[in-house]
Amino acid sequence: MSKAIACCAGLALAAALIAFPLYVNGYYLALGISVLYFTILATAWAMFSGPTRYISLATVAFFGIGAYTAAVLGETWSWPVVLLAAAAIGALVAAITGLSTLRLSGIYFVIFSFGLAELIRQLVIWYEVNIHKSVGRYLFSAVTQDVLYWQLLGLTALVFLTGFLLGRSRYGLALRAIGADETAASHSGIDAVRIKLAVFILSAVFMSVTGAIMAPRWTYIDPSIAFNPMISFQVVIMALLGGAGSLFGPVLGVIPLVLLFEVLTATLPNHFSIVLGVIFVLIVMLLPRGVIGLISPWSWSTPEGGAKGTAPVRARSGPLLQVDGASKSFGGLRAVDNVSFEVAAGQIVGIIGPNGSGKTTLLNLLSGALAPSSGAIRFGGTVITGLKPYRIARLGLARTFQLVRVMADLTVAENVAAAALFSTAPARATGRELLDLVGLAQMHDTPAGELTYIDQKRLELARALALTPQLVLLDEWLAGLNPSELETGIALIARLRDRGTTIIMVEHVMDAIRALCGHCIVMNAGSVIARGVPDEVLSDPTVVTAYLGGADA
Amino acid sequence: MLLIDIVLPGLVLGGMYALIALGLTLQYGVARIMNLSYGESLIAAAFGALTLYTGLGVSPLVALLLAVPCAVVLNWLLYRLLLARLMRRGKDRGAQEIDSILVTFGVLFAVQGVMLIAFGGQYYSYSYLSIPVVVLGTTLAVNRLVALLFAAAIGTAVYLLLTRTRVGTAVRAIAVDAGAARLVGIDVPAMSGFAFACGGGLVAIGGVLVSMFLTFNASMGVVFTMKALVVVIMGGVGNVLGALVAGLMLGVVETAVARLVDPGLTLAATYALFLAVLLIRPTGLFGRAAA
Amino acid sequence: MLATNRPTMLRITRLAAIAAALATFAPTADAQEKIRIGYAISKTGPYAGGASITTLPNYELWVKDVNAAGGIKLGDKKLPIEIVEYDDRSSSEEAVRAIERLANQDKVDFILPPWSTGLNLAVGPTLNRLGYPHLAVTSVTDKAPELAKRWSNATFWLGTSAQISEGLAELLGKLKSEGKIGPNIAMVSVADQFGIELSAAGREAFKKAGFTLTYDKTYPMGSQDLQPLLNDAIAAKPDAFIAFSYPPDTIALTEQAQLLKFNPKVFYVGVGTAFPLYKGKFAANSDGVMGIGGWNADSPQLKDYLARHKAATGKEPDRWASSITYASLQVLQQAIEKVGKLDRTAIAAEIRSGTFDTIIGKIKLKDGLLQEVWSVGQWQNGEFYALAPTSLPGARTPVVPKPQWQ
Repeated sequence: MSKAIACCAGLALAAALIAFPLYVNGYYLALGISVLYFTILATAWAMFSGPTRYISLATVAFFGIGAYTAAVLGETWSWPVVLLAAAAIGALVAAITGLSTLRLSGIYFVIFSFGLAELIRQLVIWYEVNIHKSVGRYLFSAVTQDVLYWQLLGLTALVFLTGFLLGRSRYGLALRAIGADETAASHSGIDAVRIKLAVFILSAVFMSVTGAIMAPRWTYIDPSIAFNPMISFQVVIMALLGGAGSLFGPVLGVIPLVLLFEVLTATLPNHFSIVLGVIFVLIVMLLPRGVIGLISPWSWSTPEGGAKGTAPVRARSGPLLQVDGASKSFGGLRAVDNVSFEVAAGQIVGIIGPNGSGKTTLLNLLSGALAPSSGAIRFGGTVITGLKPYRIARLGLARTFQLVRVMADLTVAENVAAAALFSTAPARATGRELLDLVGLAQMHDTPAGELTYIDQKRLELARALALTPQLVLLDEWLAGLNPSELETGIALIARLRDRGTTIIMVEHVMDAIRALCGHCIVMNAGSVIARGVPDEVLSDPTVVTAYLGGADA
Repeated sequence: MLLIDIVLPGLVLGGMYALIALGLTLQYGVARIMNLSYGESLIAAAFGALTLYTGLGVSPLVALLLAVPCAVVLNWLLYRLLLARLMRRGKDRGAQEIDSILVTFGVLFAVQGVMLIAFGGQYYSYSYLSIPVVVLGTTLAVNRLVALLFAAAIGTAVYLLLTRTRVGTAVRAIAVDAGAARLVGIDVPAMSGFAFACGGGLVAIGGVLVSMFLTFNASMGVVFTMKALVVVIMGGVGNVLGALVAGLMLGVVETAVARLVDPGLTLAATYALFLAVLLIRPTGLFGRAAA
Repeated sequence: MLATNRPTMLRITRLAAIAAALATFAPTADAQEKIRIGYAISKTGPYAGGASITTLPNYELWVKDVNAAGGIKLGDKKLPIEIVEYDDRSSSEEAVRAIERLANQDKVDFILPPWSTGLNLAVGPTLNRLGYPHLAVTSVTDKAPELAKRWSNATFWLGTSAQISEGLAELLGKLKSEGKIGPNIAMVSVADQFGIELSAAGREAFKKAGFTLTYDKTYPMGSQDLQPLLNDAIAAKPDAFIAFSYPPDTIALTEQAQLLKFNPKVFYVGVGTAFPLYKGKFAANSDGVMGIGGWNADSPQLKDYLARHKAATGKEPDRWASSITYASLQVLQQAIEKVGKLDRTAIAAEIRSGTFDTIIGKIKLKDGLLQEVWSVGQWQNGEFYALAPTSLPGARTPVVPKPQWQ
């Protein structure tokens, strides 16, 4: 019933929006055009920047590219082709720049994206001056406000549809996982670079097409009009004000701001700046979560993590993991020095050693966080040396982190779901079951950032298991647990082994090593100094010296 | 000598870039405020110098004595009244950065609005120390040379203060990790406010000095903000010496491109150099390697 | 998804409704007691610098002058002017929307143009569609004749880029034939439409007049460090230095030329030379500098205008587009009075066809363009006299070579 009402309301709204030009005068239509064009830009901006939190100031670069494409081609080519060309050029530039820039993060990306917009503008100017011998472009077209409005409205619908589908798809969750913690996402099998790039290109396409649609309105396009950096700033401000984290957030920033600008321009043309500035400061101080924060504590639907099924027992001869002479140097320091060992399927192998002996670095080599300086690593017969973390994760090698890494903004369930997104192995358990397994069943919808430290560790393990891994690397997963928690933890790891998961654990808790590991490796100063059954190894004099501090410590 | 003719004017130009960027190094690099109203503060100081010079005949160099303390106090107030609250509110650095971008965007308009009412939109320019001096056969303007010397002196002095004093060490600790700094007993809000205010003082120096040789109006702040951001990022956020070197480098490159390639490409060269530096060393010329 | 978004959507609709209500407080047109004139001008943004010297003060002065005289005569009564003003924030889109607002919401009787070529072209189609006369004063474009044909309501007042460059070339050619200068010219221009069009037209015109361009470069807009450029220009040993520049760079070029003791026989800089700021800053050193524009400073009407401008706005007008802006407003007023009713189509036609008496003399547009436009002026004893086109009445004799910088 309520769904039907909502449907009717939606249809009525759509009809009203489509018919808008027919019942308002030119001014309201112009206002509508402003709202729409900023809505598209801000929504497209938030599509990429919302989940990833990359504050991009390159909006106007793509907008300007679109406007210029229209100005150059608009009078000779047919209009749909011009729009397609704008989209294609925008996508191409986004792809080139995205490839080189998306590895930057935080403030560096902010400034880089701004520099990019300026660089493109300067190059366009230079081209126009020296090759085309004229800077401004004239674009006489008979496009009326109505037609312009409908084009923008269509594009608005498209951007919302795209955003909606993206949010529901696994790429949407993957993008948010990347934004929350890129490292954790990569180790959960998410190809961060490719997904970021794809969405960056997608959002750039919308911006370019908007530029192309708007260009004929201004008759005359020059670089300072097309690449006006204020557009980038306005878009960022509107999207952030509305709330960049959700699909309809940006539009809630666009509408009030366009109207505020308009009312202020009209009523106080001479004090516009001051009043706007003050109102703006007040809004920021009083509305910490954006306009959408006022309306609803938004939540995203969570795709259930993977279909349930049983894993085929993958029969294989030979060891599951084979490390052969792996080394890693940082400058002159050999953090891992010619380490070789093998792990058979179903084993729990402990790696112990004093602080700074290279244990975590070794795990980083195995999981792909670092590439070894030399040596080879085989996993299930495949050479994984130098593969990207997400590739290794998808092969079935999962890990947890010494300094716990959860995707703080995502719920507990989403953290687990994110890891199952691109897993190729059929899932052995649903996300809920995994959370049950680690004892987080009650926390399903809690944001991961609100969990206690211990629960975050549990969540990390559940996330690792969601990859349906054959091998799990635990980096001091038991550290900091109290005696009773420790007991549960040890039992949990034992259960994993019984389910057929192979485990490598770096650990300082010797009771756990004794209880769980059939085999352990002792490292000191990057090298393996002893290996064997825990009890024997731990009484080895070299090991004792290494722990207690020998002559070379 | 073409080489000297490129390097010296380039250094002088670069000195100006460094000068306008030093304040932002402190505000952005240390206090973690991405201050979009930075350029407006600079223009405000320039207007102050203009008023004092054309109205009362006060030399801009003397005007510094007035402008700098005023700017420090105003920026400190700005920090205490607005920014400190946002810093407390923000969960993490990302949230703080977004909030500071938004709120300083508002401040930008407010400050610009005040200047528009006071001075209107038209251009202003006056001449002070616009006299030639010949250095190694190359003619330079004294006022620009003064700016370069100030930039070098301030850059070095701030660098020494940051590295050789207790307060400086505390300030640097905040720049690296505010959370950890708090744990070792550093009063983070107070020190951040201090760094922000000092940054404001440096902006005022920049504004007063560039007003001696640049034509400006109330709407031009954003130009300076952007130039300063480029220099700061290139030099490595929070690294005063880096900003100095990056500024000088930009100046020399721009001049070289103007003389040897095409003056039309100077700005393109700036941004290309900037992007190249970021791609090769994402944390800037002198930034710490990413963890 | 749908379930969580529905309240959001509803609230959006509600917000939109409030918004629409907010924006509806537009006044309605009252009985014709006064003439409502609106304009949107760049009070902020990059165009504010130009708008607040050339355009805005003249709008204010003109309204003050007209209202002091009782208003615009319409039929047998005089109607005072009421002003509606907006800030277009130097943005094309804002400018277009402001025009729509002025026409549809405020229902003004006339709309005055924004500042700059870009904004005038942006609002051109809208003003044309709405049928308002468009006095595109501060737009310099070679497309002006074509635009005037396309938009019958529009008129162009500053000449085309070609006219300006040709006027300059003609003057220089004359100086060369008199043996006052040699054949070498160094030309620099700002890299935007204005600079490019003028330098392109100049290149041709100078060549035709028998000059050699020994240096010819552009520089990015906003650049105030032009010493490298000047160094190379000096090395080219020009007889005349020509810069198609904008105010900040005009100032910078002059200042840096003085530093480098660069004393070509002719020193011509672009927009900004005619500003009072230029004279104020360079004082005696401005003497002999040539630039775009100029006016017949001995004309009593202009002397009177200068005094009124100073009294009303507290500053002097620039000596290029200011007086023309004011004159265009006088033309508007006289056209309204001649037509005798608020028939905008008839008034636009009258502006194009009529002859008017203004502070810059008798004006008659040809094909929507003001033809008699000064292209070169020169500071002589603290006044910016017009030099070229030399055929126009009131053209002064140039002082060449320019006195050495002091």
